[in-house]
Amino acid sequence: MIDSSLRWVDDRLGIAKGGRTFLDKIFPDHWSFMLGEIALYSFLVLLGTGVFLSLYYIPSAHEIVYHGSYLPLQGQKVSEAYASSVGLSFDVKSGLLMRQAHHWAADIFLGAIAVHMARVFFTGAFRKPRELNWIVGVSMLLLGIVNGFLGYSLPDDLVSGTGIRITYSIVESIPLVGSYLGFFLFGGNYPGNGIIIPRFFLLHVLIVPALIIGLLAAHLGLLVKQKHTQFKGRGKTEHNVVGSPMFPTFMAKTTGFLFMTTAVTFILAGFAQINPIWQFGQYEPFQISYAVQPDWYMGWLDGALRIMPSWEFVGWGHTIPLEVLLPAVIFPGIIFNIFFAWPFIEARHTGDLAYHNLLDRPRDRPKRTGAGAMMLMLMFMVFSASSTDVLANFFQIRLNSVLWFFRIAVPVIPVITYFLTVKICEEMAGAEGIGKRKPPNLVHRSATGEFSTVPTEARPGDGHEELEAVPVPTFIDMVPADLATGPGIRRVMR
Amino acid sequence: MFRGRYAIPAALLASVGIFGLMAFSPSAAQADSTTPTTLASAGGGYTYPTPTTSPTVSASSGYGTANINLPETFIAPGQAIFDASCASCHGADASGTSRAPNLQGLGAGTVDFWVSTGRMPLADSSVQATEKPPRFNRTETLQIAAFVQSKTPGTGVPIPIVNLSAANLESGGSLYTLNCAACHTITGAGDALAGGAYAPSLHLATPTQIIEAIRSGPGNMPRFSEGNLTPTEAHDIAAYVHGVIQQPDDRGGFGLGGVGPVGEGFVGLLIGVGLLMLVCFWIGERS
Ligand code: HEC
Ligand code: HEC
Repeated sequence: MIDSSLRWVDDRLGIAKGGRTFLDKIFPDHWSFMLGEIALYSFLVLLGTGVFLSLYYIPSAHEIVYHGSYLPLQGQKVSEAYASSVGLSFDVKSGLLMRQAHHWAADIFLGAIAVHMARVFFTGAFRKPRELNWIVGVSMLLLGIVNGFLGYSLPDDLVSGTGIRITYSIVESIPLVGSYLGFFLFGGNYPGNGIIIPRFFLLHVLIVPALIIGLLAAHLGLLVKQKHTQFKGRGKTEHNVVGSPMFPTFMAKTTGFLFMTTAVTFILAGFAQINPIWQFGQYEPFQISYAVQPDWYMGWLDGALRIMPSWEFVGWGHTIPLEVLLPAVIFPGIIFNIFFAWPFIEARHTGDLAYHNLLDRPRDRPKRTGAGAMMLMLMFMVFSASSTDVLANFFQIRLNSVLWFFRIAVPVIPVITYFLTVKICEEMAGAEGIGKRKPPNLVHRSATGEFSTVPTEARPGDGHEELEAVPVPTFIDMVPADLATGPGIRRVMR
Repeated sequence: MFRGRYAIPAALLASVGIFGLMAFSPSAAQADSTTPTTLASAGGGYTYPTPTTSPTVSASSGYGTANINLPETFIAPGQAIFDASCASCHGADASGTSRAPNLQGLGAGTVDFWVSTGRMPLADSSVQATEKPPRFNRTETLQIAAFVQSKTPGTGVPIPIVNLSAANLESGGSLYTLNCAACHTITGAGDALAGGAYAPSLHLATPTQIIEAIRSGPGNMPRFSEGNLTPTEAHDIAAYVHGVIQQPDDRGGFGLGGVGPVGEGFVGLLIGVGLLMLVCFWIGERS
């Protein structure tokens, strides 16, 4: 019965074949291949919790009198957006948990993308033929950051309002079109006529997520089409993939991992407070609190803004605020262009235009690894610079000393990191047998008290042996014993 | 083929998450006694300070204007303490030396603030005086204040009698955001200011100290006269700091120090992403 109806569907749609390819997709077993899944699953958590939140959130800057259960706000005039955000935290069952899970998931989502991207970068997985997928990935990172910022702005509390205010100044700082763009976005001069919240809402819940989902589909589609890369190893060549098939082995793993991601997010949401907007109060354009920072993934922009000396360009009747334009527009522009173009920059530099399915070990590519370490260090330094005040307060040092430390450290330390990393990689590459399993030595003591060491015999995995590639089997459950390289592990041709 | 060994820990973790949900969801938190449910309980019906002997209340012409009248008998013991602990820097008659400023005319409230927050007596005069556990008990502090006040009777900042039972938290909240958050931050955690100064955390200040700080403007803090903030408004702010900032409604779990996204970013990356990477590693190692 089920069989015949399935056959009916398949006769018309012919999806069985595609499904077969999908279910047969081989996933390498190395742990670092699962980092992207953290991002994927926290994105699912984001979607789920986001739908919940959008049921209660009211995207409106309209002023009302607060009558919820949070007493210090009683009777104050607040925007509907703020009132509903506080309301969904306090007066909706498990609303606060959902709000916090949503926020933590966003932090984890972007963190996981960063870690995943680092893995892809350091192992050279972005090389031909996967440049396109790298670009798709970087685009998702960009959209993720944008959507994080949009969501952060929605509650209309003091902290997020300050963020919007800064954004307006950043938009305004763009030469020639800046003020028009600002007017266009905000529907008038800052703070606009309340149009920004509905607009941000629309972007945040519909347009940007739709773009991300589209890119995500492309990302995974390309992954299935091009197949995974893999590390060099026993039986692994440029022309095969070794690992567990999608069904059932990988399916079990990855479902478990979905639960894990959800669990960690909700543990954080249950135990660690994030963005207590009720403590911040409603945003008023004339109010400001110290210690206002954006979320971590925007922190590097804030940090760049903070350490920038106040320079200005005045000429031809125009003022260009370089102190905003350089750190907040030009700097991220350069960074993301480097991200996008890196596969091509590297190919050009090395002249290597061949297909690559085998990954590099980071130490075998000292310059790339150095460049990656330099970028990570740069990001870390500008990010830390976004907490100058917190650091100064914590370590009881003068704010200006902290500022000057970062002004010098941000350009200098990453360069040092580059040379240090290159050196370390070269040293490691030069050392014989480093990172390989070494056969243990047996130490003998003779009757006369003389010591001697004898290496033991080699064990499986000590050496490096090539296996022959085998053709793709039609059915996974009929894998002949000679095609299996271990329990549940198979090799297929690309 | 399904691997039970992933499912069990996942289920365990999920149940911990659900426990967190139950522990911190609004329904549970609403029963929490720290939630300021009434204004009176937020103010705590404050009648502090009530010194052991008999300082009397000056004629109160309106809400929030009552001050402590320090008795004459406090002056002599106050002078003794001052001679022993303060005179070396501030001079025997509190008129200041090259090492420390003149205290005459500042009023009992200013002295009370600096001594009761532990700023005075000063240990190291090269940095901003910091709060530390006060050296003197309440009576001794009032005696010192009485001595300094006796030099210039009737001038300077008096020691207020704080009664927050009638204070208005909402007005206190907006006044706080407007006047104080720029330095002390919206959560009252304090922050570094330009030029090496810092605004301290407000989490330990008593309502009396808060009003004294507002009126006397210690160190780099501006002084708010009664024209800027009426006595009622000052009381509202004190009630807000005392009732909301010092007992924040920390629903949703640990407050992470109230320093905002910096702490949250670290937790999200180290605990969130870090834990999940360990899980990756663990799953990967098992194949
Ligand atoms: C080691 C020297 C030293 C000692 C001892 C000392 N002070 Fe001070 N005091 C200072 C200095 C220096 C300042 C200025 C500090 C500042 O502005 O941060 C000061 C400031 C003050 C102020 C605030 C003055 C203003 O203009 O606002 C008061 C009040 C005060 N001291 C009271 C006392 C009392 C009471 C004692 C004794 C219990 C005492 N001090 C002991 C050095 C000292
Ligand atoms: C310009 C920044 C600034 C503003 C605005 C400001 N303060 Fe302060 N505040 C300070 C500084 C700086 C100190 C530390 C003074 C010192 O120790 O020298 C301080 C100290 C205090 C203290 C003492 C804390 C302790 O425990 O020792 C209290 C209480 C206080 N402020 C309350 C307030 C209140 C209430 C307001 C709003 C009406 C306010 N401040 C506005 C900068 C500020």
